[in-house]
Amino acid sequence: MHKRGASIAASLTAGILLLTACSGSGQDEGGEAVDETAEPVELTFQSLSDQPAAIEATESIVAAWNEANPDVQVEIVPAGWDGIYDKLITQFNGGAAPDIIHYEAASIVPFAVDGYLADLSEHMSEDFVADVPEGIMESVTVDGEVIAYPTELQSYMVFANKTLLDQAGVEIPSGETMTWEELREIALATTTGGTYGLGWGLKSPTAAFMTMAPAFGGTFFEGTGADAELTVGEGELAIPELVRAMSTEDSSILPVSLTQSGSEVLASFYAGAIAMTIQGSFQAANIAADAPEGFDWVVLPPLEGPDGAGQAANPQTLSVNIDSEHVEESAEFLNFFTQAENLAALNEADALIPASSSAQELMAKNLEGEPGWDVVLSSGQHMTDAPYLFVDAYAQWKDTVATPAFQRFLAGEIDADGLAEALQSGWDEITA
Amino acid sequence: MRVLVKPAQYLALAAYIVFLGFPLLWLVSASFKSSAELNSLTVNLIPQDWRWENFSEALERQGLVRSAANSIVVALVSTALVILIALPAAYALARFRGLLRTVGTGWILVSQVFPVILIILPLFLILRTIGLTDSLVGLTLVHATYTLPFALWMLQGYVTAIPTELEEAGAMDGAGRTRVLREIVFPLLMPGIVATAMFSFVSSWNEFFFALVLLQSPDNYTLPITLKMFIGGEGKVALGPLAAGSVLAAIPSIVFFSFMQKKLTGGLLSGAVKG
Repeated sequence: MHKRGASIAASLTAGILLLTACSGSGQDEGGEAVDETAEPVELTFQSLSDQPAAIEATESIVAAWNEANPDVQVEIVPAGWDGIYDKLITQFNGGAAPDIIHYEAASIVPFAVDGYLADLSEHMSEDFVADVPEGIMESVTVDGEVIAYPTELQSYMVFANKTLLDQAGVEIPSGETMTWEELREIALATTTGGTYGLGWGLKSPTAAFMTMAPAFGGTFFEGTGADAELTVGEGELAIPELVRAMSTEDSSILPVSLTQSGSEVLASFYAGAIAMTIQGSFQAANIAADAPEGFDWVVLPPLEGPDGAGQAANPQTLSVNIDSEHVEESAEFLNFFTQAENLAALNEADALIPASSSAQELMAKNLEGEPGWDVVLSSGQHMTDAPYLFVDAYAQWKDTVATPAFQRFLAGEIDADGLAEALQSGWDEITA
Repeated sequence: MRVLVKPAQYLALAAYIVFLGFPLLWLVSASFKSSAELNSLTVNLIPQDWRWENFSEALERQGLVRSAANSIVVALVSTALVILIALPAAYALARFRGLLRTVGTGWILVSQVFPVILIILPLFLILRTIGLTDSLVGLTLVHATYTLPFALWMLQGYVTAIPTELEEAGAMDGAGRTRVLREIVFPLLMPGIVATAMFSFVSSWNEFFFALVLLQSPDNYTLPITLKMFIGGEGKVALGPLAAGSVLAAIPSIVFFSFMQKKLTGGLLSGAVKG
């Protein structure tokens, strides 16, 4: 009896599976309706704009293009930042990638190395190239090919509680730049009973240390791709050592902030528990919106080391799929998209720094009177190239070696020699 | 001393409920807070200023309602598919003691071995060939396929737990095969079916990766994809609207569970009477 019942059940299962399969095919035939011959040219633009204002700005730019170019219509396909790397890998391998791809330099470079992105050197407007600082252009140049239009970027800035600085008798720096030594002195001067001079969210310290190392001549990497070599010397260790000295010798850094994210530190900043905080420049907009009423704050000038105020640029990018049938049209659209007024509007909406100088100037004009923005935008001129962008094993080294090693160093578990040894041996192990 | 046992038990139960419920309570609280309050060192469970705008922002932004509707359709249909396929298959696997059972069991185990990242590309190519990428039908089939092995495993355990003697007794009393299944086996299996349906529903409701990769059009996005879009680049997060969106997103799931929970209890009672 059971065997017979089981056979019936098995047959039923097979039948359902068959029906499901048939149902899938039916939907397929009914749902597939792509007409390749349709005019005008249609471009898909996978946009990662996430802030409501930035979404609106992107839509507005695209609408202006579509109106002016009836033969080349652009369709925005919104996507999120989370998981976008996996999505792009599948899209590229499955031949379903959009024509225009929004991403960031650090993550898009591997796709260029693997040959998924079109060379835009010949298509990119000469005016735009001349308008973008050299270091930023280098961040989107792979093996001599320009693989993306740089659009938006952030720098690390020092935000200060003006009231606390005034109370400590500190003269607020007003020059074009300020030195790290000045930062240390101000932090020490503003550290009193219940207040620390500085709070720096170094939960994931590698990105901050890599970005700011150029001020001390630190590059971390020489060479590109699989041939890149790691160098850990004085320039690379300068900022971690300074942070540790401020933490252990001066006691001028809020200890818990070293384990927090940048955003988490802002609560202490608003509460007056810290006089200054180092944050991504985009936080200027959040501070303006979230700070308690009467909270008097300023952005201090870009930090400068012995080698200048340079910070490694990792801009957001717009690239073109090499398999797109409309590379030229896509590049034309991007030339329009990156015009000064468009980039200024987009960056204003995103609270970021435009990649081109003319857009920075325009945005500075638009935001005249808004606290801190003149200083934030001036930091855009100090952006320099980021050698780590072109290193094959960087992501793995960063996550498995550098971040844990920096965390151990900041926690006092290892000294500077131990840190250098951990960074180097970890790199050797990964690249062996 | 004995007098204290009962209150202590209730106290422990209350503590456990608080432990489980507090994150949800905190989420609800966060959904009414302003960005300034969320970024303050002051911790309040009750928001200082009730910010209802978080909900309107969540609803207006990114098409949350449309995504919720997509998620409901995909989760319900994939759950129905899973139960329809797994129920007879589980019965067959539990009762059929031959090669089919060995092969079937082996298939279930093997199918659980492969990580999602390994199968996504071939899956994407197959679905693209049959025109089911960027389609809720395709996503539903993927969810059903991916959940099916474990659901089958779950249901098989429930079927095995039903003594064959009960079916034989029914047959001895003159009931036919269909009647035995309908009046003896299915009522006893109801808790298993409900538990499996809940598992299947939640798996589909929360599933992110397949939806992320397979769906291209915002019109087809499911809730996990839409909610993730509240988390932006450069570490920017719209916490208030995200919390509000999460609260709204939890409602259909809670309704489904409330409804199914009764069935789960009913099935258990039914089993107890029959047993």
